[in-house]
Amino acid sequence: MRAIAGREVAFDEEGFFEDFESWSEEIFEALAQESGIEAITDQHRRVVRFLRDFYAYNGRAPLNNQLRQGMGLSLLELEGLFPQGLKLGARRLAGLPNPKTCS
Amino acid sequence: MIYLDNAATSFPKPAECLRRALERYLLLGASPGRGGYDRAVEAEAAVATVRSKLCRFFGVDENYRVCFTYNATDALNLLLQGLLQPGDHVVSSRLEHNSVLRPLHHLQSQGRIRFDLVPFSPDGFIDPAQVSAAIQPATRLVILTHASNVLGTVQPAQDIAAVCRERGVPLVLDVSQSAGSIPIRLKDWGAQGLAFTGHKALLGPTGIGGLVLGPDLDLEPTRFGGTGVDSRSPYQTREYPYRLEAGTINLLGILGLEESLDYVERSYAATYAREMALAEKLRDGLQVLPRLRLYAADRLDNHLPVLTCTLEKRRSEDIGAILDGDYGIAVRAGLHCAPFVHQQLGTLAQGAVRFSLGPFTTETEIDAAVAAMATVAGRI
Repeated sequence: MRAIAGREVAFDEEGFFEDFESWSEEIFEALAQESGIEAITDQHRRVVRFLRDFYAYNGRAPLNNQLRQGMGLSLLELEGLFPQGLKLGARRLAGLPNPKTCS
Repeated sequence: MIYLDNAATSFPKPAECLRRALERYLLLGASPGRGGYDRAVEAEAAVATVRSKLCRFFGVDENYRVCFTYNATDALNLLLQGLLQPGDHVVSSRLEHNSVLRPLHHLQSQGRIRFDLVPFSPDGFIDPAQVSAAIQPATRLVILTHASNVLGTVQPAQDIAAVCRERGVPLVLDVSQSAGSIPIRLKDWGAQGLAFTGHKALLGPTGIGGLVLGPDLDLEPTRFGGTGVDSRSPYQTREYPYRLEAGTINLLGILGLEESLDYVERSYAATYAREMALAEKLRDGLQVLPRLRLYAADRLDNHLPVLTCTLEKRRSEDIGAILDGDYGIAVRAGLHCAPFVHQQLGTLAQGAVRFSLGPFTTETEIDAAVAAMATVAGRI
């Protein structure tokens, strides 16, 4: 548990949310700043919203191909948006669970 | 999809092998060795034929025992739990897959055994002298991977077997990666056993593997149940291979393995030479890319068509996702179930990207992989 954006939130050892529902815009913004994102853009918010909506609807993260098609951006471009990359950046900041697999 | 994850499992499989296996299974499908009716006897005979073929394939006499398991991990568990006694010591290596490491750690955590892991050289090889130095009076077994699933380096099995023989300790090889890719002559090398899986370079289906054990390597059963023999006894039969094969065996998998064994044997050397030529092309294409580091790939002799690399300050899992999502290239990123390899390489935090080629990999696919990696490496 750690205090962030005025709340106590449980994260795993890699900084992923233990509970998808404990995510909030305020916590996302605090985590984004910690991760080295200098200014959160609409593009960042679109990625996070897509990931969260997809997970909420399907009960799993999007496939790589679904992420590319859904965002209309290459994964290479998405990786570049987040200083910590796709998994530790985009996925983690969106509050999706840690996949814990060798991908 | 461009499939470059053949070290995880080969894909595609030769379809005709699976079709033939299924046709035979549909005709033969009784329980092997269970019952005296003709179909059951025929099924048992078919299984015995595959055991014989495996003996030939691995270069051992028919007095070696071939016991079927689900896969190599299953075989290694049977071996380690069935052979080792309280107080025993084991020598293994930092190149091992978790299929060896986890059973060893489990047994050690229970206070039953101790083990030591010998390191590998920067070019990915185990030094037989270090194996010899690690052997103690209590050492009951040396268990080593024949070929690293991360680096692709093929270990000097014959030289290691020689030092083990001098010290009076049996050597068992995990041939998960090498079987079907390069010849294995277990008896000539002087090793006492091996664990294999059918679904990698042997091109068979998943769910079938086995142990091949020399006549001096006796295991206690660690699974118990019906075997079709000695049914009056409430205890597990002592007779091999049934001692280690509790429950109905995977007849469809065994038939699939037989078909793929025949297929592999027909084109063995030519396939390996072709795969290594493509691996060399991939290596040459990757090694000039900025910020990319290849591991144990300066020389590709004594090597399988497996190449592993990292990109400076980039996470391997992200590179794997980009290759998949943007280019349709399937590779394995992460730690490859071999954490001590990555610890020694210094790649434990970021992981690494592994390209593993197979018999159906083409030159065009290698060109596409190099081009994709060039684009990925070019993003700073």
